[in-house]
Amino acid sequence: MTDFFANFLNPEKRLFIGYLISAAFIAFFWLRLVQKKPLVNIASGFFNSKVWFSKSAIADYKLMFINQFFLKLLTPILIGQLALTLFVFENMHLLFTRPSASIPVWLVMLIFTSVLFVIDDFSRYFLHRLMHRIPLLWKFHKAHHSATNLTPLTVLRTHPIEAVLFSLRAIVVHSLCLGVCFFFFANNVSLIEIFGASVFVVIFHALGSNLRHSHVNLGYWDWLEKIFVSPAQHQIHHSTNPKHFDCNFGAILAIWDNIGSSCIVSEKNQHIKFGLKEQSEKDHTLKNLIIGS
Amino acid sequence: MFNQRLTTKVVPLAVVFASAVLISSSSFARSNVYADFPITLSDYSGSATTSVSYKGQMARHALESSLKKLISKGDIAAMQSYYSGDDANRAIIAPATKGDFVIKQSTIGELSNKNLSGKTYKGLIPGWVGNMTGPEVVAFMFEKAADADGGYDPAHAFDYTQLVSKFLMGAVMYNQAVDNYLDEKLEADTKPNNKPYKDGAAYTGKEHVWDEAFGYFGAPAHTLTMSAQDVYNIAKQKDAAIADYNYDGKVDLYNEMAFGHAYYASSFDKGGKTTYLHDIVGAYMDGRDLLVAVNGRALSGSERDQLKGYAQTIKTNWEKVIAEAVFKYAGETYEDMVKIEAILESGGDVAKAWRNYAKHWGELKGFALALQVGGKDMGATSVKLNRLIGYSPLLLGNTQVTGIDSNGEYVQSDAETWGGYMVHMLKVQNLMVDEFGVVAKSHDQTAGLSELVKSLGAKSSAEND
Repeated sequence: MTDFFANFLNPEKRLFIGYLISAAFIAFFWLRLVQKKPLVNIASGFFNSKVWFSKSAIADYKLMFINQFFLKLLTPILIGQLALTLFVFENMHLLFTRPSASIPVWLVMLIFTSVLFVIDDFSRYFLHRLMHRIPLLWKFHKAHHSATNLTPLTVLRTHPIEAVLFSLRAIVVHSLCLGVCFFFFANNVSLIEIFGASVFVVIFHALGSNLRHSHVNLGYWDWLEKIFVSPAQHQIHHSTNPKHFDCNFGAILAIWDNIGSSCIVSEKNQHIKFGLKEQSEKDHTLKNLIIGS
Repeated sequence: MFNQRLTTKVVPLAVVFASAVLISSSSFARSNVYADFPITLSDYSGSATTSVSYKGQMARHALESSLKKLISKGDIAAMQSYYSGDDANRAIIAPATKGDFVIKQSTIGELSNKNLSGKTYKGLIPGWVGNMTGPEVVAFMFEKAADADGGYDPAHAFDYTQLVSKFLMGAVMYNQAVDNYLDEKLEADTKPNNKPYKDGAAYTGKEHVWDEAFGYFGAPAHTLTMSAQDVYNIAKQKDAAIADYNYDGKVDLYNEMAFGHAYYASSFDKGGKTTYLHDIVGAYMDGRDLLVAVNGRALSGSERDQLKGYAQTIKTNWEKVIAEAVFKYAGETYEDMVKIEAILESGGDVAKAWRNYAKHWGELKGFALALQVGGKDMGATSVKLNRLIGYSPLLLGNTQVTGIDSNGEYVQSDAETWGGYMVHMLKVQNLMVDEFGVVAKSHDQTAGLSELVKSLGAKSSAEND
């Protein structure tokens, strides 16, 4: 249970209470000042029991809960990342000369934080794309897309196997970045952090990442949506409309989608139905989510 | 009423408890100084007042440290004299008086007229070229050292001063202690405790066996009264006051100086992560206290098991001290390689860095050879260690010594890349951790990386995009 609550108390997690509050503020100002919605509508939208207690949302909660136990099984794999990092570090010796001159610490921090951010984001995009494109992986990722209501908690509506794949991805990326950067910068390697999390991650979450899984249609200018994925763009990714299928795989950066010709920008008054192409009520049962129909 | 009950019940209980503590503490009390243990042989009629004697071992330490100085002078006759000669007037070249650190003895004979050759491990040394035995390796190195300028051969990056010194510390001191005195000589039918070690001796068989093993470790007799830092300062001849335990104004090489592996143990322990020095000397002390308590009779089975238990503590910790040294010098060799590569890339003069590389590699190799002469079959660990280090440091042009020809000249072959050999040094460090559980880990090349993985490594997450 402590792990469960850690989701809300750890600034490295998207559901950190501070990010939920900032998302609520952003949503409020967006709906009130940009979309000119009446206050009463905004309030009822926020506290709509039809959303929070829908079958879809309840399925989110169940999976969230179950995944806590599956993630526990990953502990030995996490321990293995030291071996993988050492492997990367050792093999760097065969490819490059280890520098002895030291670079200023602030520059090392900036390089490491940026490299980790870019590679981490790319790998998320790439794995996400594979989850859609490879039929076997889609069987697992479908559990996430079967959500018909999007709430911030939908971020944890993840099939356990997918959670394992996400964690493995993180291990590979961290091992690679740490092994390579330690080779070049030795003990100066460190992360620019705010509240113990990468500065880029904190900025992304503080600027309303939680609205990606919501019904708040917050889009950016078209040019910006080709660089950063807006909440509205991610909502398009969850659309049941076939013309929206397999688009906007990106996590933070949209440039990968742009390069991969899968970037769709949002529309001002888009009305999107969330879910699968052939959605059934049964898709929200735990059995269907985990074992499939 | 209450007070009466208190005095009738609590006071006697307290007395019983206090006596129990006193009795138990006295029976487990450990002596502080390895000296003045009484003569336990009832029929001893000589003039000695103590049964402790290990002068021959300290003479060998003085021979080894003097030899280290001689190698850099290139006089092969002098080297051989200190290694295998029998002149009691051989001067103690090191440790020599330095400022107020006055050394009591000036000749080997003042300690005991011994040599090193008779006690050098006679088995095969697989980590060195040419299928040689221990004494053959020493003789070969003497010849090479005499040919090289100051005991240093830059063409092959061999530092014979370090190679011979560290090898002898293993092949003589470590081997004699752990593979002889603390091994077969602890058996019941060898040097029994109810007879003198030899006719007329003031000590029993087992007492002397134990003392000789203690001497080979090289610790001052009053080690347990000092910190590891103090013992380190004594070895470095920095603190005469703490060395001079009997206040005679001189440091006695017999029992007040720190030598050999005891010095290395202190160097690791002063970092605060390990207690090799005190664990080893403490076990020697416990064993000697046991022999005093046995009081000149034959050891019972359980007493001998107890003594063997102390011996095992000594062996295990001593082996770790050598493994820590291998770890440290693999790390320093790695650091030298980073520096050399940078100097070469900038077109600078590499001579000084190359000298350090040879020195640190020499210590690495010497300790690695030492690790393998403890009489224990190290199996695959030995093979891995020797292959990773090779017969020489990696030389410019990525070659390495791979053997000797019929004239005893080194043969070189293509070997690893520079980076590849650096990885070998990392793997040597890993091997010491995995096989010997080293803890001090001086010059650890991947400690920072482990810390980074701990603090910045990936954590499990089910967060979807």
